[in-house]
Amino acid sequence: MYLTHEELQTRVRELGSQIARDYEGREPVLVAPLKASVVFLADLSRAIAIPHGIDFLELASYAASADTGGQAQIRLLKDLDAEIADRHVIVVEDVVDTGLTLNYLCKTLTLRDPASLAAVTLLDRPYRRLVEDLPVRYVGFTVPDELFVGYGFDLEERYRNLRDLHVLRGSSGST
Amino acid sequence: MECAKVLDYYGVPWEYEPTTFVLERDDEGRVIEAFKPDFYLPEQDLYVEVTVMKQSLVTRKNRKLRKLRERYPDVRVKLFYKRDIERLAERYRLQLAS
Repeated sequence: MYLTHEELQTRVRELGSQIARDYEGREPVLVAPLKASVVFLADLSRAIAIPHGIDFLELASYAASADTGGQAQIRLLKDLDAEIADRHVIVVEDVVDTGLTLNYLCKTLTLRDPASLAAVTLLDRPYRRLVEDLPVRYVGFTVPDELFVGYGFDLEERYRNLRDLHVLRGSSGST
Repeated sequence: MECAKVLDYYGVPWEYEPTTFVLERDDEGRVIEAFKPDFYLPEQDLYVEVTVMKQSLVTRKNRKLRKLRERYPDVRVKLFYKRDIERLAERYRLQLAS
């Protein structure tokens, strides 16, 4: 086990308090990419004691047709339900490592003219960053270069429901 | 190359091996050691060298990176492991050529 449920909850409550202080009077909207960040979002939302919204989006690859030259490109499988223009947006990430995903999200969301854009991540691997200029304002835990399951993190869609965060040992995915 | 495919997937502009950095010259000024990082990401102003996890290779590349940083302190360069690329690809089920 890497982090117990209690350790996770303590840190999430701290993040929630900090966000509530920073966004007092601004009613931010938490935007979570599906699916791994859902458990974190549920706890974080309940730890933020100011009015705020939540919304979801989902990223997916696509098998491009011959018309597009067979080039895969990141795209939104599910877009946000609400407009974010003039809203204070906080992207809720499960983990930030290279920053490529968050970079794409920030570029996409910035085009919609939010009042501000920040990110909170449960786990961070800053030493693996390829994109540095990211608005990661809140970090739960800086973690080693391991794969995790539990607390929303999955292995082939399993183990998301585990209360604690576990390290996945072995490159084959064995625990 | 897998890395190029992943960068394209995320919409990150890249250039392939655009720069050769001279690391060592002999007394006559001839280049005896140079380093050409695999990618340059202009938006990040970052060079990326991709490597497999084989320890001897990582050690050799790390040594070159250290030398490069000493001689070109303003150049930003990172070593990126092939397994990281595979992990990224797996996250979004991007099919990579083996």
